[in-house]
Amino acid sequence: MGKSSDTRYIFSTGDLYQKDFSIVFRKEDGNFYLPIKDTRELYCFNEITLSTKLLQLLAKVGIVVHFFGYYENYIGTFYPKEQLLSGRLTVAQALAYEQNRLKIAGPIVKGIAKNIHFVLYHYYRHGKSELKDYLDWLRKDVSRLADAVGDIKQLLRIEGEIWARFYQTFRLILPESFAMNKRVKRPPDNPINALISFGNTLLYTKTITEIYHTHLNQTISFLHEPAERRFSLSLDLSEVFKPVLVYKTIFDCVNNRKITVEKHFDKKLNYALLNEIGRKTFIEAFEERLNQTFEHQTLKRRCSYKQAIRLDGYKLIKHILEGKNFVPFCMEDKK
Amino acid sequence: MLTGTVVNYYTHCQRQCWLFYHNLNLEDNSEDVRIGKVLHELKKQGKEEIALDGIKLDKLTAEYVTEIKKSDADLAAAKAQLEFYLVVLHDKGIIRKGRLECLEKNKQSKSVHTLMLTEGEIEERKVQYRQIEEFLNRELPPPPIRKPICKKCAYYEYCFI
Repeated sequence: MGKSSDTRYIFSTGDLYQKDFSIVFRKEDGNFYLPIKDTRELYCFNEITLSTKLLQLLAKVGIVVHFFGYYENYIGTFYPKEQLLSGRLTVAQALAYEQNRLKIAGPIVKGIAKNIHFVLYHYYRHGKSELKDYLDWLRKDVSRLADAVGDIKQLLRIEGEIWARFYQTFRLILPESFAMNKRVKRPPDNPINALISFGNTLLYTKTITEIYHTHLNQTISFLHEPAERRFSLSLDLSEVFKPVLVYKTIFDCVNNRKITVEKHFDKKLNYALLNEIGRKTFIEAFEERLNQTFEHQTLKRRCSYKQAIRLDGYKLIKHILEGKNFVPFCMEDKK
Repeated sequence: MLTGTVVNYYTHCQRQCWLFYHNLNLEDNSEDVRIGKVLHELKKQGKEEIALDGIKLDKLTAEYVTEIKKSDADLAAAKAQLEFYLVVLHDKGIIRKGRLECLEKNKQSKSVHTLMLTEGEIEERKVQYRQIEEFLNRELPPPPIRKPICKKCAYYEYCFI
């Protein structure tokens, strides 16, 4: 079982139940106590038995639980009854979707470009001069193109191009064993796609938890269609964090040989799935990055990247409710 | 409808008051607030809380209505809250004096403060409460004003992001 800050990861099979005011995880080699006080989020990667009595406790204290299947596939989230509800905000959020969608979706796409630029600039500075064209395009053209669009479809085309060109840079950055021909999801067909899918899912669920702690409605999204997945606002808000949280973790793990194709992927499945050690290694690196802090330039206080996701939720509320321009997290500006 | 907490917040910070009233009550991870809540649970143990028309009284005796606070950090706000109780009770024909008990005294020299309102003051307060109600019906909250008290507030990040 892994723990980092207030998130607990469960990799083995066992029973979860309540004892006094703690959660107990009983597995073959003993009992593990998870104190409620510093648990806010649980990830279950194996077969877990739990009871409604436990769910009652989890709901009372607002602990969110994410469940995954055998193939790392995301099953769903136990999402405790909303504690923070504001009718006024829900109405305003829906109106913003109707009337102002591009004012929120546009900055998200620009934010993706900025954060990819930040991540790749590091490699450019270290000799990957082939990145120049793409970097220039990200910095100079994307913002202009995104401002000029008339509808969401045009904006999504720009977003698609940003990611497609980003994947093409992998051959410059990553070893050959992690080459990527094209992005394949559900299920991924090779190691790099497996890492991306796993990383994106982790970030998506993290964002669900952060949004849970705000008044935002998870189903009303702006860049993605509200119907796309149940919690499509999480897809929206996680987008700008992918380059700095998911991809930087992948590059770090792969280039520093923390994760290799031979050791950390399941051979039986054509290396298209992380094995248990691979999963643990990746999660550890990902959590470390999430909990890293920086000096937030607007708030003038230290803040972790995980908190930054929540802060983007606050920015969105402030845009919806008070009309302040929505500018999602930017790695370079540290705000 | 006004409540004691809303009147307290109005004195403490108008923006917080508006947001709280519109259910944008941000989660507080602060230890102080948690202690406050526990104290509230403890002091009402075994006793029925007296609740009427949006007010919840910590204690009501023949002479006093008592409000218990963790500390005297914002005495003016706590007094405004207690005065609101006095006015509501007065309207029901219950005439009492106010008694404020602060469990920690950090800023004041005494921990118990008593107060009374004259008929004239009661009328003044009622005019003020109507102003607060108008304020709460505004479309937008007032913009944040950075003050030293903001640093500890649960709304800090939302206000200044």
